[in-house]
Amino acid sequence: MDSFLNALALALTPMSIAAVGFGTLLGLVFGAIPGLTFTVALALALPVSFSLETVPAIGLLLGTYIGGMTGGSVSAILLGIPGTPSAAATVLDGHPMTKKGLASLALGTAVIVSVFGGIFSLIVMVVSVDLVSRVAIGFGPAEIFALVLFGFSTICGLCGKSLLKGLISGVLGLMIMTIGLDAIEGVPRLTFGSVNMLQGVNLLVAMIGLFAVPFIIEAFSEKPHNRNAPRPIANVRAKLPSFDLLFRNLWLMIRCSVIGTGIGAIPGTGGAIAAFLAYDHAKRFSKTPEQFGKGNIEGVIAPETANNAVTGGTLIPLLSLGIPGDPATAIVLAGLMIHGIVPGPALFMNNASEVYGMYVAVVLAYLWVLALQLLGIRVFIHVLKVPRELLAVVVLVLCAIGAYSIRNSAFDIYSMALIGVAAYVLVAIRVPITPIILGMVLGPTLENEFRTAMMLSEGKMDIFYTSPTALGFIGLAALVIILQGISELKLKRKNGRKVQVSDA
Amino acid sequence: MTNRNHNAVLGLLLLTLSGIWTWLVMSTIPAGFGEGDIGPRAFPLIFGLFLAALAALLLAQSLRHRSDQRTRTAPDDPAGSPILWLPAALLLIEISAYGFLLEKLGFVLATPLVVLAVMGLNLRIRAPKLLLGMSIGTTLICWIIFEKALGIYLAHGSWINLG
Repeated sequence: MDSFLNALALALTPMSIAAVGFGTLLGLVFGAIPGLTFTVALALALPVSFSLETVPAIGLLLGTYIGGMTGGSVSAILLGIPGTPSAAATVLDGHPMTKKGLASLALGTAVIVSVFGGIFSLIVMVVSVDLVSRVAIGFGPAEIFALVLFGFSTICGLCGKSLLKGLISGVLGLMIMTIGLDAIEGVPRLTFGSVNMLQGVNLLVAMIGLFAVPFIIEAFSEKPHNRNAPRPIANVRAKLPSFDLLFRNLWLMIRCSVIGTGIGAIPGTGGAIAAFLAYDHAKRFSKTPEQFGKGNIEGVIAPETANNAVTGGTLIPLLSLGIPGDPATAIVLAGLMIHGIVPGPALFMNNASEVYGMYVAVVLAYLWVLALQLLGIRVFIHVLKVPRELLAVVVLVLCAIGAYSIRNSAFDIYSMALIGVAAYVLVAIRVPITPIILGMVLGPTLENEFRTAMMLSEGKMDIFYTSPTALGFIGLAALVIILQGISELKLKRKNGRKVQVSDA
Repeated sequence: MTNRNHNAVLGLLLLTLSGIWTWLVMSTIPAGFGEGDIGPRAFPLIFGLFLAALAALLLAQSLRHRSDQRTRTAPDDPAGSPILWLPAALLLIEISAYGFLLEKLGFVLATPLVVLAVMGLNLRIRAPKLLLGMSIGTTLICWIIFEKALGIYLAHGSWINLG
């Protein structure tokens, strides 16, 4: 109780409230602009968080994450273009509602159900982080190695369209992270004698490059006639749904929150998958499935509840095990570590008040979302009218500021540019970049735990197969890869057969 | 270039990369002492070999598909978008120049120059008001927010410094 009161005191300072508010606004704006995702916003907010105290810094990042998840719905509903991938399912019924003249109701409902989903998942998170930490506290290096391996293989398997490309991308991330001084023996690895390379490739620099630079290149190369196209935005406001409407859909909201939280807790999945599953679920169990896609409010409620419920879900493995499930949580992880908080089973013992502070910050972020979306939406939709390429110019400057401020060195700007262009090429040929970033985040843990385990066992591999927990996780990792491989093969066969039929 | 050609080129490039990587790792990083000491070499080496295997698989897959393609046009996994090499290369040069200028001229002078260059070269914007407004506006707002309000150090120039 003491640490909770302490956390309240930490999280309710004017500085914290303002930091969460600023983050939420940043997330809402970036989330609403198609092409700019909240991951970019997070990568750019991270350097700003260095200069803040711990709780406001984490509040800033969480606010950005939550605001971004919610902001995606604005352009999905008004323009029919998802602001973030997680709002893609909202387009299906949200945009038809705008065409019917119900944009205000769709926006208002989206905000309310987002807050519901978020708070629901926060409650689930608070309970499960504690439970999972209690189980995980007994893990030794072998078990942690196996657990990270499992988390990592799930990410590689699930996040892209092709398992092979996912794995390639993951291995590339792991390779990048071995550059620099070896953490255990202090041997320089592939540094080519350069002092700048001794610290290795900086994670934050890589993140800014990976997520912001491809956006800039794409925004710059849009055809001029596509630019400045007048975007029909009606004069809208967020209209609160009636109690009756919410009450009728309460059960749907609860089910979609469960879907969102559950999916979020699986590394490598994320908001887009949860939102589509929830949409599908709502359609299947609806009394009027034929109205889906034509502006049914249930088709807005389901994905919007689920994608915000993902935020709490992704924080479960992050806080209790130290495994981030997507790039956004990887950035939150980086932010936590910079402030000396190491997520994992021992988190509560070492940083109880900061963790409670985070919980309060999440609630604050949702209050800000409510206030900003309901009161400020009129001002806020004007951001959608700013040409994308001019925003990209500003993002370019912000990227340079971000990369430079990490170590005050231009070397980091050069690396960011190089990594960014490489990322652009990878994105263009459909290699997912999420596994790269998570390989970079999880790589050192994977290597250090394995090496520590081998030191403990004096070089005998039986430390891995005599522990049922470690064996279980390694088995699960193999299972995920095998199942994903089989399902891709099946899909290919099916496609092949279809072609033969159409050829005949 | 089709998606499969992309995959074949990617496979080939990654295979080369893994070869160079593995050779560098073998020749520059010392091995462990054994008896539980894995050493700093083992992990980079394993990753390099993994990449080689995966790249070979990708290459084989794309080549097999290509021979299939001669007889029929199979539906693809979602095709990649065309790679815009020129804008990408231009941006790489511009960002690098920005990094260089930041250290020499400082943030306050380097930023408007780079914004002007980007807007003129990449976006082909010629409206003087927009050019001036964006370059000075972006610089000033960022400088006030980051340097003055948040206390984040923005680069000071070594040739010339305006703060």
